[in-house]
Amino acid sequence: MNSGALVAKTSELKNRSQKKPLWLLWPALIMLLLVQVYPTLYSFYISLNRLKGGELLFVGLRNYSRLLKESDFYEALQRTFIFTFFYLLLCVSVGIILALLFNRRSRLTTVYMVCIFLPMVVSEVVGGTMWNWMFQQSYGIIQVALNPILGGISIISQPWGAMAIVILASVWKNQAFTSLLFLGSLQTISKEIYESAALDGANHWKSFWKITLPLIKPTLLVAILLTTIRGINSLGLILATTKGGPGEFTTTMAVFLYRKGWLYGDFGLAAAISVIMFLINITMAIVYIRLMRAK
Amino acid sequence: MVRSKLQQRIDAIVTNGLLSFFSIIMLFPILYSFMTSFKSAENVITIPPTFFPVNWTLDGYRLATQGYLLNTYVPNSAINALAAAIISVTIATLASYVFSRYKFRGSQALEIAILALFMIPGLTNLVSYYRIGTELKILNTHTIIILVYAATELPFGIWVMRSFFDAIPVELEEAARVDGCTNVQALLKVTVPLAIPGIFTVFLLAVVYFWNEFLFAVTLLSNNAVRTAPVGLYDYQTTFEVSYHALNAASMIILIPMVILFIFGRKIFFRAMLEGALKG
Repeated sequence: MNSGALVAKTSELKNRSQKKPLWLLWPALIMLLLVQVYPTLYSFYISLNRLKGGELLFVGLRNYSRLLKESDFYEALQRTFIFTFFYLLLCVSVGIILALLFNRRSRLTTVYMVCIFLPMVVSEVVGGTMWNWMFQQSYGIIQVALNPILGGISIISQPWGAMAIVILASVWKNQAFTSLLFLGSLQTISKEIYESAALDGANHWKSFWKITLPLIKPTLLVAILLTTIRGINSLGLILATTKGGPGEFTTTMAVFLYRKGWLYGDFGLAAAISVIMFLINITMAIVYIRLMRAK
Repeated sequence: MVRSKLQQRIDAIVTNGLLSFFSIIMLFPILYSFMTSFKSAENVITIPPTFFPVNWTLDGYRLATQGYLLNTYVPNSAINALAAAIISVTIATLASYVFSRYKFRGSQALEIAILALFMIPGLTNLVSYYRIGTELKILNTHTIIILVYAATELPFGIWVMRSFFDAIPVELEEAARVDGCTNVQALLKVTVPLAIPGIFTVFLLAVVYFWNEFLFAVTLLSNNAVRTAPVGLYDYQTTFEVSYHALNAASMIILIPMVILFIFGRKIFFRAMLEGALKG
């Protein structure tokens, strides 16, 4: 990017005698180009190569064809879908419920907020350690508490159980984001609307569906999109809770990528996975920006 | 008045009841981990498990800090977090100032492009960072992790800072310029001091994010000397000699500084998260 392209025709500021200090943008642009844009393009290139003896060897689209032949890939895709679906469902519903509760201000609201939003500053590894510990086979406090109901089945070693645990852990860690999103939206709705609705005899339930939901609809769309993106790309917390296991029961696409690269050293294939995930993400990002602009 | 006093009282009780319920659920894993960190090795495998330690002991902390946690991992995390936060906040401040004050050809497109980068998750670049690190021989160094952190936080920082700059009247700078300041002098002497709350917001969020960060750290740092605290804890998980009281003690060592920052800076966290999410 050269400075000529950045020189503008009109001046926003009244003082036209001085040049705009557009060079202040350069550090940011250089850093983003070198450490964000270039690596993304480079992963496209790596995905067309195989790593042999530390050197990249061009193999064309072979990584992709290998990937599409692997049944593990489709299983990982399916698990990503299951994970993201329930993660989204819970994040959004819990987020709306919490936001509605927080919006009824009381003296204790701040205390509740600190308690409920605390997981947002918990490291993924720390959170994973905690959730893994609660479900330990013989000593985990929740596992033992549920033993009478489940007849002693170890939850974390079941396919559905391990998946449920990583979903719950992820919702636990990230609900603050969706809750705050909805709370911000609710605070823009004036109290008078509810009061006049109540005058007309509407109860809480009715005014939620008839007033609140239509008014927070734009936020709802944004929340759904951002949560979906986060869900698809969840990796750290799953790794720290189950390491993608037992077996491959919680190996979503993201975990699959990590395993292929860092466990089996197949970085070409890992890059191909990351390109596919990138394309999914960029599609969602474009939709997001369209939505933001429409607002 | 529409609703009766009784109705209002019932509403308040239901609201408080539900919020207390959610608070307990959300705090439970943290509190249980906290309690476990003070148990003895025998108490950890007591059947049935107890919530509170039978005897409070620091054995877990002793075991957790025997290795590299306190003398290597925690300092590494602190260095990375502070260095990356300082770099990214500085660069974000300069860039967001330009976006806030000046329009130029393509400025809007550029801002949208940066927002789009913010939407692209780190996962996409995981493999190429690893490969670039290998090629440049900077894998397993502070350099690579600090660069990656600073760059990933940059788009978010620019968006948050921009709204802080937008809120500062341009007239103040113009007055400074009339008094003979250059553009940059006006920025440094007038605008930056007024933007301190914004700068601090981005800095605080960045420090917490970098301190906790796991994905880049675990993929780019495998050498013991440069490992961060979360990566160290992840390694402990697979070490069989380490029992759960030590694992939870290590967890608490990583978590407690963040809890303190969170409690004191709660308003900053809440507002900035909204800011970052609702920009556009």
